[in-house]
Amino acid sequence: MNDLLLKFNTLSKNQLRRLDRACGWSLNADELAEAQRQFRRMGRAPARGELETIAQTWSEHCKHKTFSGPVTFRDGGKVKKYKNLFKETIVRATKTLNKKWCLSVFTDNAGIVEFGHSGKWGLAFKAETHNHPCAVEPYGGAETGVGGVIRDILGVGLGAKPVLNTDTFCFGRLDSKQKLPKNAHSPERIMRGVVEGVRDYGNRIGIPTAAGGIYFDEGYLLNPLVYVGCAGLIPVDKIHKEVKPGDLIVSIGGRTGRDGIHGATFSSANIDEDVSASAVQIGHAVNEKKALDALMRARDLGLYNAVTDCGAGGFSSAIGELGSETGARVRLEKALLKDTRIEPWEIWVSESQERMILSVPKAKLKRLAAILDAENCEYCVLGDFPGDGRLRVTWEGESVVDLPMAFLHGGVPNFEKEARRRAVRISSKPPAARSLSYGELLRRTLAHPNVCSRHSVITQYDHEVQGGTVGKPLQGRYGDGPGDAAVIWPHAATLDQSDFCGFAVSHGFNPALGRVDPYQMALHSVDEAVRNLLCAGADVSRTAILDNFCAASPRDPRVMGDLVLAAEGCHDAALTYGAPFISGKDSFYNQSRDADGKEYPIPISLLISATAPVADVRRSLTINFKEPGDPVYLAGDSLRGLGGSVYNELSPSGNNAVAALDMKGAVKLYAALSRAMAAGCVRAAHDVSQGGLAVTLAEMAFSGGYGASLDLRAAARERGLTPTELLFGESPARLVLEVAKGREGDFLRLVRGLPVAGLGCVKEEPVLAVRDGGTELFTEDLAGLKASWRKELI
Amino acid sequence: MKRPRAIILRGTATNCDIETASSFKYVGAEPELVHINQLLAGERKVLDYDLMAFPGGFSYGDDISAGKIYAVKMAKLAGDFKAFIKGGRPVIGICNGFQILVKTGLLPANRANAQVSTLYTNDCGHFIAKWARLRVNKKSPCIFTKGLPDEIELPVAHGEGKFIVEDKRELAAITGGDLHALTYADNPNGSMLDIAGICSPAGTCFGLMPHPERNFFAWQHPDRPAAQRGAEAAGYQFFRNAVDYVR
Repeated sequence: MNDLLLKFNTLSKNQLRRLDRACGWSLNADELAEAQRQFRRMGRAPARGELETIAQTWSEHCKHKTFSGPVTFRDGGKVKKYKNLFKETIVRATKTLNKKWCLSVFTDNAGIVEFGHSGKWGLAFKAETHNHPCAVEPYGGAETGVGGVIRDILGVGLGAKPVLNTDTFCFGRLDSKQKLPKNAHSPERIMRGVVEGVRDYGNRIGIPTAAGGIYFDEGYLLNPLVYVGCAGLIPVDKIHKEVKPGDLIVSIGGRTGRDGIHGATFSSANIDEDVSASAVQIGHAVNEKKALDALMRARDLGLYNAVTDCGAGGFSSAIGELGSETGARVRLEKALLKDTRIEPWEIWVSESQERMILSVPKAKLKRLAAILDAENCEYCVLGDFPGDGRLRVTWEGESVVDLPMAFLHGGVPNFEKEARRRAVRISSKPPAARSLSYGELLRRTLAHPNVCSRHSVITQYDHEVQGGTVGKPLQGRYGDGPGDAAVIWPHAATLDQSDFCGFAVSHGFNPALGRVDPYQMALHSVDEAVRNLLCAGADVSRTAILDNFCAASPRDPRVMGDLVLAAEGCHDAALTYGAPFISGKDSFYNQSRDADGKEYPIPISLLISATAPVADVRRSLTINFKEPGDPVYLAGDSLRGLGGSVYNELSPSGNNAVAALDMKGAVKLYAALSRAMAAGCVRAAHDVSQGGLAVTLAEMAFSGGYGASLDLRAAARERGLTPTELLFGESPARLVLEVAKGREGDFLRLVRGLPVAGLGCVKEEPVLAVRDGGTELFTEDLAGLKASWRKELI
Repeated sequence: MKRPRAIILRGTATNCDIETASSFKYVGAEPELVHINQLLAGERKVLDYDLMAFPGGFSYGDDISAGKIYAVKMAKLAGDFKAFIKGGRPVIGICNGFQILVKTGLLPANRANAQVSTLYTNDCGHFIAKWARLRVNKKSPCIFTKGLPDEIELPVAHGEGKFIVEDKRELAAITGGDLHALTYADNPNGSMLDIAGICSPAGTCFGLMPHPERNFFAWQHPDRPAAQRGAEAAGYQFFRNAVDYVR
């Protein structure tokens, strides 16, 4: 290999490819040629460390080349060209909206919006994925995914204090009959490992894990998705960071070892038998807690000028980013190591966990060190930021990297991607005569893996540490109803228990829709996330959202087509809902071969994470019915189409149409409902999503222990809608509300002219009876419905 | 009236220190977060305080067993802690704090100051976080549970909460003296006699697995707003009692 490195500048395309494979860089032919061109110009051969640095810096994981690159999209005869898909969709929406409560968007490790009434605080929010590591080593992959996104929050601005963790998982079906290749783990093994990893890391570090979801689909059999998110509070005067020439480079937290070599580049590789376990890092939550505690104290005392986390690419990315203007001088022999049998370039790119890089004025080092020592947090001074714009990395005086920063950050070549709309045949024929009663269908829907209770997972997470989880994942009379959004009262960060401002966090996710219509999927996902926030009583006019795309190989024009359509959907939804994107991330190459060599690409998967302020957490809403005699209302139009529904899986209807979301109508409806909630008219609210209206009603009833007697006759509906579609269709922009008895008049005045229909009343008797005019649909006792729903997933 | 000084002890991964301190502050104490390193270095002295709390968390990762490393670090200062308790100053250990008190031998109180019980891995084999119904032992000398109704709700969040005492005499001392101030109505972890919390014979040193600081205000309860009566909930009373006691 050393021979090839020495002759790098004269290697042929094939030889370059062989070298790339042998070193595990995942650079493509054009990028290798670009690197070769640069070193030819410099007139010298590259060092291993330099090519490693380039591979990290240019990796999909760090640079997001696909989403930020040029794309040509073909849809029938129409052609649309993008220079930078991300900027022309997601970022453009945020720019157009230009909300003054957005304090930092897309530039830092997380997005930041204003928090509370005092003007003193910002809320930082970030989500990312840790898919490839979780496929190889589920427990370690999940642990380090959680640890990584927490560090993003610690590394935003001058550091935010984490107050909430979120997690959303996609696994293959647990009852899958597919034959797995011999290197793949079963979905159950992956799920158990991932849940345990999130549990052991999140619980130990003392951050509540209180929002998220689990989604099962055969598309994730070989490529599970693990989305991890974190939200934190930051004083507004700590948002700006700037490395000053002369500052010291200080690494705090964990030591550096051989774990996590090539994590960034491996995330773009196919998962096969060649992948080395050393690509997955080892987590240690307690080290991160030490760093967290020390960092927050040092931040408040102003002991450093900048901070960022060591994530993908390790020191090379973190120091490279912080020093992109000033340059950096790094002496690797100063690094604290886990294991001395390590090459200098490995120290430089290792992704060992729990490390943060600080830019520290020389005069403040002593005070910083005292705080770190007091918290038993290890640290080392690696070098300084000289101000000459050059990256010089040495080990005992020997050069490891010597390059201008401009080459690393400006040199990445961009390549045009082809995209085209996937051909999907859409049928909107009405569902055929059903063989099961509506009651039996409801029980089966409640028991479906994508609908049933998640309590066996949720109760393994400490979702109430910090004492601020007011909107809980499990709520209601028996503490087991499925909450729509987490509501957090972050008094452990603000240290103010007399201020009742909080924030809500929710998600929207439905890849089954994406198989039919990726554009509508994006709209529906934004709508679902916003609606979930509304159900918790949040101020949805101040919603901020995150996009996390996961997709298969971008070399497939259909995959790129899905991405283009979903990104356009994101743009349009953000504009209409007035909800800017503040941060986002993407993960490609989620595609693997099974035992017979058949390709398994994941469906286009877009997780929308949303947050909005809650003016007074004491008045936030929960989903359960609260008092017999209260009237029940359905808000929103019920539309035709069973595409992507749970119903379709239980009773294939041949109808795969996806309802087109009327966004403007939804925004108007939510604004009115928001006013009704603020006026105190609403006692409970729950969204209609997976499983449809019947599931929503059942969940509200059994979470409260009260029945209801309801007639859907007045429900606003599209012409020709069948009772099956009304009960089990998943058309968007609908929610069910329990209105306080005696406040109907006020409520109806506030929603006048909108599609809001009275259905009946909450009843003491624990029976849910639903009819549609003269037709009785079902009468079910709550105990039976709850028994069907309350599955032990794990 | 003078605000009683409360020492809130912390170490690496003591996660519930801030909300525990806030709870003491709310009821009129003056809490201070103190790292065990500060005590060991002599920068702070436990006997300078009126009240003491060991908050929940995962001190030192709960390596070896829950609370063990923290307990070992306290060994050098054992005299101070014993004097604090002997002097009748209130001490509360919540969750990991209870585990620490048990591992140091401070609870259950015994003549040899030896560890006579343990909090072992839950019967289900893993961490659980859920709300538990608890029965209050009205005959208990515990000063923290005075004035509570017969049954209350508090959340539990622990992996090692199964209270076990091997020696029958020690167990008899607990039940005979009504030192088991709190028991589970639906035992979540397999504890002997459903024990959720125990106190010293004087009632001033109290350890419990559930988290009173997480049901301090009515809106921290999962069933809102139906169950919301006043601002303060069951957990508030534990802290109120401690401050009232020293005043």
